[in-house]
Amino acid sequence: MTSSTSLKPLAMILPGLALAILIIGYPIYDLGYASLHEVSRFGQLRDFNGFNNFRDVFEDPLFYGSLIRTLIWTFAVVGGTLALSLPIAMMLNEEFYGRGLARVIIMLPWSISLTMTAVVWRWALNGRAGLFNATLMDLGILKEPIEWLGEANQAFTVEILIGILVSIPFTTTIFLGGLSALPQDTYEAAAVDGATRWKQFRHITLPLMKPFINIAVVLNVIYVFNSLPIIWVMTEGGPANGTDILVTYLYKLAFRFGQLGKASAISLIMFGVLLIFTIIYVLLVMRGEAGAEAEE
Amino acid sequence: MLKKSILFWLILSPLVVVILFPFGVMFVSAFRPREELFTYPPTWTFSEFRWANFAEMWVKTNFGQALLNSLYVSVLSTLLAMILSIPAAYALSRYRFPGKRAYRTFLLMTQMMSPIVLVLGLFRMMVALGLVNTLNSLVLTYAAFNMAFTIWMLQSYFSTIPRDLEEAAWIDGAGHLTSLLKVFLPLAVPAMAVTAIFGFINSWNEFVLALTMIRSSDGFTLPVQIYSQVAGRYQIEWHHVMAATMLATLPVAIVFSWLQRFLIRGMALGAVK
Repeated sequence: MTSSTSLKPLAMILPGLALAILIIGYPIYDLGYASLHEVSRFGQLRDFNGFNNFRDVFEDPLFYGSLIRTLIWTFAVVGGTLALSLPIAMMLNEEFYGRGLARVIIMLPWSISLTMTAVVWRWALNGRAGLFNATLMDLGILKEPIEWLGEANQAFTVEILIGILVSIPFTTTIFLGGLSALPQDTYEAAAVDGATRWKQFRHITLPLMKPFINIAVVLNVIYVFNSLPIIWVMTEGGPANGTDILVTYLYKLAFRFGQLGKASAISLIMFGVLLIFTIIYVLLVMRGEAGAEAEE
Repeated sequence: MLKKSILFWLILSPLVVVILFPFGVMFVSAFRPREELFTYPPTWTFSEFRWANFAEMWVKTNFGQALLNSLYVSVLSTLLAMILSIPAAYALSRYRFPGKRAYRTFLLMTQMMSPIVLVLGLFRMMVALGLVNTLNSLVLTYAAFNMAFTIWMLQSYFSTIPRDLEEAAWIDGAGHLTSLLKVFLPLAVPAMAVTAIFGFINSWNEFVLALTMIRSSDGFTLPVQIYSQVAGRYQIEWHHVMAATMLATLPVAIVFSWLQRFLIRGMALGAVK
């Protein structure tokens, strides 16, 4: 290989790489720098103050509240999404009448901005005139309308359910990709040997789908952990910080309360967590690729 | 087959209802006369389709301006991302080069970086560059955050286009560039179009960065404009909000529904493998 042929691909990736480093790399550096300084509410950096910003964060009870809710939010949404998406994907992978329509409907929430979904649900759940109450009252489930978003725990539960709803399409898509690649003859052989459907699922589908399940877990954890719009639009972390998760708390600190040093420190902590999950993801992908190459 | 179909639809029906429910809410609230929004007890029924809601909403919420802003940002950021991604994806699918592995790792990592974690740093950077409150700040950031996805998608599609075709063209005496333009490009156009549309939808729907970078309402994109009709207002004109949401989401939902099978194929081809 001559040097000119190896320079060409480098020249092809370079412009995009430069933009990514500027937009994604530089802010990380800036946040790291700012987190170690005192920052005025207008964003001017003052004196180096060591780890004072981090100490402020770790002494803040609201931080711990948000952290715990972030964990609940992430586990509940990702767990619920996976539990629903695998059976959905398995159904959508089989032939049945109206499958095309079912796929379109189930993918629908993906196409809509989370902001818009949250706006519509906020109105639908309105305590006085919301159509969610109207539906439940028509069905005879409710006698009186309920203020769904008025109390923190209830609002948070509702937000988790909506989080699950909007995460299903992406997860189902990953699983459909995996299912379509499963070898059909294995199932036929198993059926000939008299394996029940459940046994086929336990011993063929689940093991073969494991790489896809792993990827779905990690990607969903990353997306859900970072998701702001649903909670921000529906309750803004309220009432009384009762639905705040780390991202909403971070956003308030940075752009409402002007506590930029503390906000930088939280950003950096979140970046660290994200990095751990990202490394897990990269390792999973690399292992998958190594496996695929070995098979070839 | 019929028994199975009925069973599957029965199992899926609760989910289908919950997914379609917000569309119903949007539809009914957008067309309802204002007086019927707050009837008690709440009901689904309404007396007429009030098309005037849409005309009023267009003026009151400054919908046209927000629509233009969203189009500007989504089109330009998608174009920028595609111009930078196509050569990179081609290089990944056709060449071996030093640092290829590291570059792929870098792509995977940037794909995972979410704007919200970096938003404060990005805001400070845009202040320093004098780009705060301009739509171009969004063009640059959306392009950068979308690129990992577009390169990955394109690369997985490009790898399915047989290299032999291009090599055959070289042997026939075509130059590298000619074979690229005459042989590779026509085969790659569908993949590029699909990828570009998904990039467009991502930009169209983005919220956090638009909320942060744009400080004056003239520059709001659709999600922020609609959010601003709801946030911190004493009186919310819900029929306008729902009409705006419907106009902003339906076209994208239709295009997405039409294209979603390509996304599944892209994933199966190796976007997640």
